[in-house]
Amino acid sequence: MSLRQARGNPTTKVRMGPWSVIQNRIASAGPEGPCERSGEVKATVTGQVILNDPNFMKDTGTGPQGGLTDPGGTGGTLAGDAGGSVIETQLLTKRYPGDVTALDGLTVSVAPGITGLIGANGAGKSTLIKILLGLLKPTKGRATVFAIDSEKNAERIRTLIGYMPEHDCLPPDVTATEFVTHMGRMSGLPPTAAKERAAESLRHVGLHEERYRLVGTYSTGMKQRVKLAQALVGDPRLLLLDEPTNGLDPAGRGAMLDLISRIGTEFGISVVVASHLLGEIERICDHVVAIEAGRLLRADTITSFTGASRMLRVEVDEGLQALADELARRGLGPRRQQRFVLVPLVSDATYDAVRDVVADLRAPLSRLELSRHSVEELFRGSDGADAAGQPDYATTEVSDVR
Amino acid sequence: MSADSTLTGGALSTRGVIHDRGYRRYDGPRLGRVQIVRALLWHSFRSALGIGRGPKAKIIPVIAFVAICLPAVINAVAVARGGAQVVGYESYLFPLRVIVLTVFVAVQAPELVSRDLRSRVLPLYFSRPMRRGDYPLAKYLAFTAACLLLIDLPLLLLYLGSIASSKSNGIWPNTRGLLAGLAIGLMWAVLVAAIGLAIASLSGRRAYATGAVAIFFFLTLILSQIIQQVAQRPQLAQRGPAGPIITPQTTLPAGQRLAGLISPFNTLEGITKWFAGYGQAFQHGSGQVPDPGSYAPAYIVMFVVLLAVSFAILAARYRKADVA
Repeated sequence: MSLRQARGNPTTKVRMGPWSVIQNRIASAGPEGPCERSGEVKATVTGQVILNDPNFMKDTGTGPQGGLTDPGGTGGTLAGDAGGSVIETQLLTKRYPGDVTALDGLTVSVAPGITGLIGANGAGKSTLIKILLGLLKPTKGRATVFAIDSEKNAERIRTLIGYMPEHDCLPPDVTATEFVTHMGRMSGLPPTAAKERAAESLRHVGLHEERYRLVGTYSTGMKQRVKLAQALVGDPRLLLLDEPTNGLDPAGRGAMLDLISRIGTEFGISVVVASHLLGEIERICDHVVAIEAGRLLRADTITSFTGASRMLRVEVDEGLQALADELARRGLGPRRQQRFVLVPLVSDATYDAVRDVVADLRAPLSRLELSRHSVEELFRGSDGADAAGQPDYATTEVSDVR
Repeated sequence: MSADSTLTGGALSTRGVIHDRGYRRYDGPRLGRVQIVRALLWHSFRSALGIGRGPKAKIIPVIAFVAICLPAVINAVAVARGGAQVVGYESYLFPLRVIVLTVFVAVQAPELVSRDLRSRVLPLYFSRPMRRGDYPLAKYLAFTAACLLLIDLPLLLLYLGSIASSKSNGIWPNTRGLLAGLAIGLMWAVLVAAIGLAIASLSGRRAYATGAVAIFFFLTLILSQIIQQVAQRPQLAQRGPAGPIITPQTTLPAGQRLAGLISPFNTLEGITKWFAGYGQAFQHGSGQVPDPGSYAPAYIVMFVVLLAVSFAILAARYRKADVA
C-alpha cells in the first residue's frame, strides 16, 4: 500500500456522507483525525486571526470535486444556455454617493462550477452580488448572468438565482418548514410544489425533524443551513452565497463547505461563494476570482493558483540533515528548512520515494503532509511568510498575481 | 407545528433511515410575478388575521372581531324584540370602531412590516422575481383587506340581524344603508391601513412600531376633540352653562368645523357627515365631529394628503438600497 493510500483520505468519505454521518465523523475523529490542525491559528488577508479549518490544505486536489481536473465537467448542462460562462461583467463600476467606489472597472467571466469570490471586507464582493441580482444599478459597465442583462432583465435573472445573504435573515417565530415553503412560493413555485421542495431542500442541508421547530430556537449552524435551504428551494441554476460560513465553528464550517461542494458537484448547480477566508475558497472551489478595492486582482482555476507550489513536508524527530542529504542523493530536490524538509511533489511516486527514504534511514517520522502555498499568500507582500514557512516561494507567487 | 407533524418527525428519527434520493430538478410550472405578489398578499392577509401563526398571534384579532361584532348582535336582538335599530350603518359605533381599529392596526401592522425589517428578511424577497414596489403593494392590499373585513363584517351582521326580523323597517332602506356603510368602510380601511403600515414600517422594533401607531391615532384624536372643545367654549359662555346646547349648524365656528382635520378618524367621520348631509340613506353619525359643511373639501383634501404621504413613506422606505 502506498503512502498516499495510507493517508486514508478521510475527507473524501466525509464529503460523500449524509450530514449526520459527517458530524459524527468529525466528532469522532478526535485530535488525531481531520481536526488535528484545527487549533492552528492563521492570519487572513484582512489581518483578522481565525481558527484554521479542519483539513485545511490537506485535501485540495484529493476530494471528490472533479472540477479540479475537469472544471467545466459538472456544469455541462449549463454551458448550453450560458454560452460557456455563468457570469460576465464588462468594466463594471459602482460608485456610491460621497464618491465611494465599490467596483472599479471590473471585467470578469465566471465559468460553471464552484467559483470563489475572494477579497477583503469592502473589496466589493457584496456590491457585485447585488448588481448581479439587479438590486443595484451599476454606475458604468454591464453585467450578465446566463447571458441575461442584469439591468434590463433582472426579474428573469432572479428566477435563476438562489441568494444566501451574509447576515442573519430569518424570522425567529416560524418553523423552518413554514419559512422555506413561503420562500419557495416567493420563488414562483405553486403551493404543493413549494411544500415538497421545502422539505427536500431542508433534507439536503441536513435538517430533518428539527425543521418543525421554531427557527428562533436554532443554533447558528442550523440557521445557516436554513438560509442555504431557502436559496435552494426554487431550484436555481446559480447560487450566490455571501460568506456562508459566517459565525460557524471549525466543525460547522467544514460541514457547510462539504455541503456547498456537494451542491456544486452532485446537484449540478453553479455556485459563487464570496468569502474573505481563503482557506475555504481553496478547499471547495474550482475557480477563484480575486478582487481588491473593486478591481480584479486575478481570475483563474484554483490549481493554477496553488498547483505550482505543491510540496511534501517531512518532519522527523531527529536526523533531519541526514534525511535531507539522502533525499538529495536520490534526486528529489529537497529544501531544508528550520525543522523540516520540503520535497516538491512531482507525482504520486514522490510519496513512495519519501516513504522509502524514511524507512531506509529508520528515521523517526513525526509528520508527513501535503504543504503548499495557500491562496492567502497571493495577497500578501514579500514579507508574507505563512505558517508553513516558505517565504522564498511567497514572493514569486505574489509577483505572478499582480 | 401541530402535534402530529412532530410525531411524524419523531417516528422518522427513531427508524433512523436516511434515504438519500439525491437532488431532483424542479421542472413543473413556475408562477409569474403577478401570481407571486398574489401569494404574498394572501400570506400577509392571513398573518394580519393571525392565521398561520402561533396561538398568541390570534389573541388581538379575535378580541377585535368579537368586540366590534357584539353591538351588531345586540342590535339584532333589539330589533327582533320590536325596538328601533340602535346602531347606524355609516360609522357603526364611532368610538368603538376607533378603539378597535386603533388596537388592531397598532398590533397587526407591525406584524406585517416590522417583523420582516427586524429579521432582515427583505433581501430574500428582493432577490426573488418581484419588483421593489411589489412588496409594499402586497402588504398594503393585504392589510386594507384585513381592515375592511374588520369594519364591514359587523355591518353585514347588522344588516342580516335587521332584515331577519319581521319588525324591521324593510329590506330596501336597510340595503341602501348597508351599501353606503360598506363604501364608507372601504374609505376607512384604505386610509387606516396606509397610515398604520407607513408608521410601522419606520421601525423594525415591534414594540416601538405598535406604540408609534397607537400614539399617533389616539393623540391626534384627543387633540382634535380638545380643539373642538376650545372652539366651542365662547358659545358656551354666551348661552349659559346649564342645559343641552343645540347649536344650529350654520352658526358653528370654523375652528370647531375644522378641528376634525387633525385626526384621521375625525377626518373620515367628517367626510361621512358631509355625505350624510346629501344622502337620504344616512342616519346621523354617532361621532363627535360636527358636519364640516362648507369646509368639506378641506376634509377630502386631508384624506388625499394623508393617503399620499403614507404611500410616499412606504415607497421611500422600500426603495432604499440598504433594505436589501
